[in-house]
Amino acid sequence: MSEKKVLVRVENLVKYFPIRAGVFKRIVAWVRAVDDVSFDIYEGETVGLVGESGCGKTTVGMTLLRLYEPTSGRIIVDNEDTTYYFMPKIKAKKYLKNTYIKKFKNEDPETFTFIDKKYYDLYKELGESGFYSKLLSDLPEKRSEFRKTMQIVFQDPYSSLNPRIRIKTIVSEGPVLHKVIKKSEVIEKVKAALEEVGIHGDHMYRFPHQFSGGQRQRIGIARALLMNPKLIVADEAVAALDVSIRSQVINLMLDLQEKHNLTYLFISHDLSVIKYISDRVIVMYLGKIVENAPKKVLFDDPLHPYTKALMSAIPVPNPDYKKKRIILTGDVPSPVNPPTGCRFHPRCPVAKEICSKEEPQLREIQPGHFVACHFPGSLK
Amino acid sequence: MEKKPLLEVKNLKTYFYTEDGIVKAVDGVDFEVYPGETLGIVGESGSGKSVTSLSIMRLLDPNGEIVEGSEIIFEGKNLLELSEDEMRKIRGNDIAMIFQEPMVALNPVFTIGEQIMEAILLHQDVSKSEARKMAIEMLKKVGIPEPEKRVDEYPHELSGGMRQRAMIAMALSCRPKLLIADEPTTALDVTIQAQILELMRELQKEYGMAIILITHDVGVIAENADRVVVMYGGMVMETANVHELFKEMRHPYTWGLLNSLPRLDIEQERLYNIPGIVPDPLHFPPGCRFNTRCEFADEKCRKEIPPLYEVNKDHFSRCFYYQKVEEAQKLKKAGESA
Repeated sequence: MSEKKVLVRVENLVKYFPIRAGVFKRIVAWVRAVDDVSFDIYEGETVGLVGESGCGKTTVGMTLLRLYEPTSGRIIVDNEDTTYYFMPKIKAKKYLKNTYIKKFKNEDPETFTFIDKKYYDLYKELGESGFYSKLLSDLPEKRSEFRKTMQIVFQDPYSSLNPRIRIKTIVSEGPVLHKVIKKSEVIEKVKAALEEVGIHGDHMYRFPHQFSGGQRQRIGIARALLMNPKLIVADEAVAALDVSIRSQVINLMLDLQEKHNLTYLFISHDLSVIKYISDRVIVMYLGKIVENAPKKVLFDDPLHPYTKALMSAIPVPNPDYKKKRIILTGDVPSPVNPPTGCRFHPRCPVAKEICSKEEPQLREIQPGHFVACHFPGSLK
Repeated sequence: MEKKPLLEVKNLKTYFYTEDGIVKAVDGVDFEVYPGETLGIVGESGSGKSVTSLSIMRLLDPNGEIVEGSEIIFEGKNLLELSEDEMRKIRGNDIAMIFQEPMVALNPVFTIGEQIMEAILLHQDVSKSEARKMAIEMLKKVGIPEPEKRVDEYPHELSGGMRQRAMIAMALSCRPKLLIADEPTTALDVTIQAQILELMRELQKEYGMAIILITHDVGVIAENADRVVVMYGGMVMETANVHELFKEMRHPYTWGLLNSLPRLDIEQERLYNIPGIVPDPLHFPPGCRFNTRCEFADEKCRKEIPPLYEVNKDHFSRCFYYQKVEEAQKLKKAGESA
């Protein structure tokens, strides 16, 4: 297990969205979409991120890809802190000062993590101003590199492809911009990428409306693939597809993963798809991670009451399958005013007094199995 | 089954006349619904499942037409021969319907209470204040907290799950004999879906109504239906009781569909793929509608539409080669146990 390399490390990620109202558009409240979330994604694995609508799973994906700027937290990709990559220079400098320089001046180097140590060495070598200029000198290149590393496949195959441009341009635009492929080799590369996902190469001159939903999703995958990424975030990539088409796309994604050694963050509301495709599963509820475990462990022995209830709510396509139904009462609360203490406590069948007062931290109960619950495993 | 069917659909054909040609959305569908049972209709997009339900209610778009020769017999009356006035007396009273998207199906400018009362006042001889009491009673029954307050709220003030509950309250306010539920939980989260399905089961037990449950979700069918109709390309591919269908399917489409599902209850090596794409209803292939995607298809399948064979008691399959499906199934079972 220790030999596996961490590709992405998310630390204390927070993303709040402002709600504005009134003539002056003042901020009146915050939607706490993602509230202090930490997890690792190892190279070559598929992490399934599951939760109901409004739990923040899509925001995690979008923030990870920096399509949203995080409110706070740190995102480390390939042992590089990428958090400041997309900030304006002054903000980036402030971030580096607050995150690293303060720590280096006040804390004992012995306690630093691997990443901190790496930046500490740089700081020792170059001094404070050298540290800034070194890290901030090549932001455009860093951004481009970041985009090449991480790509996304969207949920809705109808709105994620521009209806006015041909498939050839849709698929090759990004790779040409980031100089992954040369202009002269566009036709050849696009053809190869399309054929890899099961679309006839000559169809690159067509427009998106000439394809079915499943085919469009394949085109979306080809577009991500041509960037030669390490990580693909698949945000509900098969949710809009018919059952018979869904299994085709899932199998395609698994084949491509093996062939290109891809890492997936697979975001879905559907636990059965997550169970089939993932190596590890993260369950979110109202902006928090409630459970994070290897797939087999999670499905054999879910410890958080929410995970249990979620599993029992999924209809199983087998009329003779006997399962215990746990039916939760109430609705998912609003992330504008999340409940105090454990955010699940108003709906939790085993909640006790402490649950409404104290927020449970994500604890490692067994190696690799993290749960945020005061009474893990108490719901039978 | 000596019981008399509540609803019989015979050779139902619903065509839409569009600029691009005739869309044969439903093309010769037969099934019965018995009192008190739940009939599940399952199919993918374009299979004609929703058009079937709208045909029963006679709520088709103006360019849609039920072709002559179709019969929809409800308690001995052919609904297609009734006048619009007579039909209106049945709609909402004897047969009620709930839709997928409650936000679209509810009127945004009237309160929940007004909308439920409208149905009650139309079909029952009661005063306004009595109707209001009945509306509050219904809201309580479907598990809406504080019904006295909620009755005066507008649809946008309720959450998705609460709206669907309000829809159910409205549909059941006149105690219909048949409830048509078209994808009632598709727009909801799974934990809310579980609540709504549980509620529907309870109310069915209490009222003894029959339900036609239309969905694309095979899991919902397995847990809620007594009998199942599998539709594809505007036709019935297979009909059977739910236990038999999931164990002993006799149509290649059902077989492919059930094997391509990711499942929670078993371990799976690799999902089965049905090759090809869902056909466009403007251009269905000649012969069996499934022949372009079927591994057993031959010349005969490409020319003739297979009849519905009774492969077992009350179990029908529209496939010339239903025995081959049986063999394939035995092979798969042998492979699994080996």
